[in-house]
Amino acid sequence: MSAEPSVGGSPEVGPDGDRRLALDDLVACPGCDLLHHRRALANGERMRCSRCRTVMATRKPNTVDRALAACLAGLVLLALSLSLPFLALSRSGIESRISVLDAIATLWASELRWLGLLTLFLIVLLPLARLGLLAWVLVRLRMKRPVLSSMRTAFRWAIRLEPWAMADVFMMGVAVSLVKLGSIARLELGLAFWSLCALIVVTVVISIVLCRNTVWERLAA
Amino acid sequence: MIGVSARAAGLAACRACGAVQRVGDEAPPRCRRCRGTLHARIPHSLQRTWAFLVVGMMAYVPANLLPIMDTQSFSGNSRDTIMSGVMTLVDQGSPGVATVVFVASICIPVAKFVFIAGIATSLHLRWAMSPHVRHRLHTVTELIGRWSMIDVFVVAVLAALIQLGAILTIAPGPGINAFALSVVFTMFSALSLDARLIWDDGHRFHVA
Repeated sequence: MSAEPSVGGSPEVGPDGDRRLALDDLVACPGCDLLHHRRALANGERMRCSRCRTVMATRKPNTVDRALAACLAGLVLLALSLSLPFLALSRSGIESRISVLDAIATLWASELRWLGLLTLFLIVLLPLARLGLLAWVLVRLRMKRPVLSSMRTAFRWAIRLEPWAMADVFMMGVAVSLVKLGSIARLELGLAFWSLCALIVVTVVISIVLCRNTVWERLAA
Repeated sequence: MIGVSARAAGLAACRACGAVQRVGDEAPPRCRRCRGTLHARIPHSLQRTWAFLVVGMMAYVPANLLPIMDTQSFSGNSRDTIMSGVMTLVDQGSPGVATVVFVASICIPVAKFVFIAGIATSLHLRWAMSPHVRHRLHTVTELIGRWSMIDVFVVAVLAALIQLGAILTIAPGPGINAFALSVVFTMFSALSLDARLIWDDGHRFHVA
């Protein structure tokens, strides 16, 4: 509580080292910018903003190990989802079997380049970039390798890309397409379909086990 | 809790890593911990929000008027717009899926336009509207936006599958391009709106 007057007035108290320590004791709510004193959290506890209830800090057990495990699982599942057959469609004896990459290549080869490119980015490149960056940062933290400034950039981008990796929305679109096609053709779901479903679950797991402020604190060291 | 915002205390919290610090003289200012760009508030937040929102709304008009899908089969050609696609699903006896598409393609985009425009206007005109309500609207807007992409993926999947089938052809219509653009720009708009402005009492907006 002793930091309170120094914040209202001037945060510049004492030499540089002191000021930095005082600043690290503060948390500003990402939702409404209200300043709070940082307090030690128990495992599994979250610190919420007293005004807007946004979660400001979390503490999750073994976050690096768990998030890394989930990330690596995600990368394997993404590789499977892209290469294995996704859907097989048969109609009057003609069967077509496609993987996600085939589908994108088909779009690219037709006049639908634009749609192919968009799908490539939202389903393949951005999820891959997000998982890859996250895995790289976490592997280096796990192996206790020296912290590089590029790891901070990588972690920042991994967070920033989150809303743009749209595997979950894509699966919803696939589900709707299946219903639309159901009446005119026979469809079989391939292995890639199920691994993409698993990837969505793993993505949720990552967001549950990854404790951002812990990772940031370790990246600062 | 300390009764002031970081900005009022002369500090800024990094949007990426959360580190609280003084905004330095460096140009552009960089976060002391993660080296990301540091701003007490997103610069020109409202202008950016409006700019992206207007583009998103403009693209939404052709998205609804132009066909998103051309289907050619022996039974003839049909051109579906977003709304007629929903009606087709209802006729096929899948009201549940029709609802999903309707919510994703009509309700969510319109709700986003209304919410973002509402929050931005309330900040301009300093409405005495509960910040808690506006905060909630902002959170919801950021969460639901990406789900509008469902229809784009439907067209992509159908077109890719059917191209191989060779009996039935499905080609995307120009409407789907406009629709995808609308969703992307509205997402940018929501991301540009700095929620912390909602809580800034003395926030002044200067009309440039």
